Amino acid sequence: MADLHDSSEPKGPAEAGHSGSLDRRDFFKGAALGAAGLVVGGQSAAAEAPPVQPSPAVELPTLAHDLAYAMPAQASGPPPARAAGQGRPASDFMVDVIKKIGFEYAAINPGSTFQGLHESLLNYGNNSAPELLTCLHEEAAVAMAHGYAKAAGKPMLVIVHGTVGLLHSSMALFQAWADRVPVFLIVGHNRNPSGVINRPHSAQDMGLLVRSFVKYDDEATTLERFAESAMRAYRIAVTPPMGPVVITVAAELQESIVNDAPRIPELTVPAPPQGDASAVREAARMLVAAQSPLIQIAKLGRTPKAWDLLIELAETLQAPVDVLGYSSWQKFPSWHPLYGSGGRGYTPDVTLGLEVTDMSVPARAARANGRKTISISAEYLFQGSNIHDFGRYADVDLAIAADAEATLPSLIEEIRKQTTPERKSAMQARGKQVAGAHKELQLNGIRDARHGWEASPVSVPRLIAELGDQIANDDWAIVSGHQFTGDWQRRLLNHDKPYRYNGDCGGFGIGYDSPASVGGALAHKKFGRLSVAIVGDGDLNFSPGVIWTAAHHKIPLLFIVHNNRAYHAEVMIIQRMCGVRGRGNQNAHIGNVITDPNINYAQMAKAYGMYSEGPIENPKDLAGAYQRALAKVRAGEPALIDVISQPR
Amino acid sequence: MVFRSAFITLVLLTMAGTGVAQNQPAAPLAAPTGNAQRGKVLFESSLRCYACHGFDGQTGSPRLVPMSRAEDIFLAYVRKPATQGMPSFVAQPEADLRDVYAYIRSIPQAAPAADSVPVIKGVLDRRTKAN
Repeated sequence: MADLHDSSEPKGPAEAGHSGSLDRRDFFKGAALGAAGLVVGGQSAAAEAPPVQPSPAVELPTLAHDLAYAMPAQASGPPPARAAGQGRPASDFMVDVIKKIGFEYAAINPGSTFQGLHESLLNYGNNSAPELLTCLHEEAAVAMAHGYAKAAGKPMLVIVHGTVGLLHSSMALFQAWADRVPVFLIVGHNRNPSGVINRPHSAQDMGLLVRSFVKYDDEATTLERFAESAMRAYRIAVTPPMGPVVITVAAELQESIVNDAPRIPELTVPAPPQGDASAVREAARMLVAAQSPLIQIAKLGRTPKAWDLLIELAETLQAPVDVLGYSSWQKFPSWHPLYGSGGRGYTPDVTLGLEVTDMSVPARAARANGRKTISISAEYLFQGSNIHDFGRYADVDLAIAADAEATLPSLIEEIRKQTTPERKSAMQARGKQVAGAHKELQLNGIRDARHGWEASPVSVPRLIAELGDQIANDDWAIVSGHQFTGDWQRRLLNHDKPYRYNGDCGGFGIGYDSPASVGGALAHKKFGRLSVAIVGDGDLNFSPGVIWTAAHHKIPLLFIVHNNRAYHAEVMIIQRMCGVRGRGNQNAHIGNVITDPNINYAQMAKAYGMYSEGPIENPKDLAGAYQRALAKVRAGEPALIDVISQPR
Repeated sequence: MVFRSAFITLVLLTMAGTGVAQNQPAAPLAAPTGNAQRGKVLFESSLRCYACHGFDGQTGSPRLVPMSRAEDIFLAYVRKPATQGMPSFVAQPEADLRDVYAYIRSIPQAAPAADSVPVIKGVLDRRTKAN
């Protein structure tokens, strides 16, 4: 969201004169002269051009005219130079707060409403911790922060322009909200706008624009309030259930000069709540007594500890773990003997939901059949009201309002206490049976990859299996979701570490995968992990600029474009609707397919400065292309492979 | 209500018929009567069956290859599908549906054995070693 400010034209305090006394009139005079110089240059070039017909006399805009509209009133001349001991920019203090919180990165798309903070981050903060990431769209910036937070386990800072930047961000904030992921966003604001350009960047209540899907928003009207609100916002963002937060900071405050900065408070993050002891005891009793318990998970896995704790719980109970679908973070090993829902004929008599946002379906099914459901979730502690991602009311038998990860140690301990030798041997027998059923299902699931193996366009399982073959000896991480590749990732790739899969978008809106993958890959970079994203062509078209961001910041990541040249879920949905209405399918592709002309994503990547290959239609060409692209990624560069793929 | 019961009965009969066809011991299906070449155009460009079933009828869900239904049972099914996700082709001319059937039957039937594909064998080996 770059605006009309041209840093090469108005001189900063160091160049404007020692006295800093250049007034507004002098400034415009200089600017007008600069503009006149441009015109002179133009005349020189025009001297060699053929004569043109005289134009009617019109008053052309000058640079000074543009700047008069672009600059805030109090900043419409160059800021006065500061003498020694005359205070410092307030935005420097804001940088101190940001550094104290400990952000590694700040994703931005520039805008004049945060020019003070932007300059301070560069020249006072030395563009380090946080380092600025240049994003080509605010939605991409927030989605990068979303993917980063899940992979790094902590929020990224995002800074956006007043109104316009925040509105561009809104979709990605919504996704982070629905995925229960923390994002820390600062939005600039012209509180007293004077020009035609800046007026629309101001709002009476900036946070209102996104309040339905952020956990907290505030306008910091003083520096003291900025410091406290920033600490509070961070604390709220990372406290379960996690979510995005927004702080509005006026340009006037950023650009003010302060002599005495307020104290920066310490950041204290509360320990997440464990379940009530008696409720946990009752949950353990129900689970130990169950003949066929089932564990379901969704937003479980705030930290890597949850991975080990869940394995411990499942193995203690010898109960299958159903990682549910796209809305789940799926933090359980995909080839574990207990991964699955128990196999054919396994009917759970007690279902335990851990951070499952919507338990209404299993709860209703259980009540109808005399079975039981337990839910442990931080959702009970905080819930929005406008966005209905919480689903229908779930009348579970036992609801525990607590962070499931924090509650798992006491639940496991209680289960162990209550397990008699008889129950233990029954559990072991159950586990053996479940493991056998799961293994057969999983092996058959892998064998199914043979169907269409030689097909062109390339089949989705081949696209993934060929990848798995080449990264089997790497420490890899899939940083995209799996909404459009079905369950093939977990069938064909051994998700044996918590970071192997970074989850999906949360809000089922397209445009998350590509930018979130860049954020995830950035988090994995310092651990030397090999990041791979399998993104749909439809998704990539929402934020293609992230290809440039990955190339510019040298974020190693292999993009595989699952290019089925359509929004294929919608193709199927419209086909079905045509069928329901008995009107034939011949028009179902209109508005749904991305052909005529076909888009060449390999060329697109090259245009953005990234190594690429494709489009690949022959499946036999896939292995070589992967090999060459992965060599680039292992050497620290991003790369992209465009694969023409089967629809699903 | 009567209509609804009749409809459910019809669906059940259709499903039962399909099931019988699927469970029959590999009795050879009668040769298709339609035009496979025309059926390919319908499958890929007009009716766009590939959207769910893949361009080769092998990769989507459910897989159409190898086809286990006899031609008339196939026609009855696609006109009144028993599953919610499958669009109904009740308005489509019968000849079109017979052509599509002929095309599906013309697609090479056999997928390679999983163990004969080195990449898939590699996945199977890694899965077996995992536990």
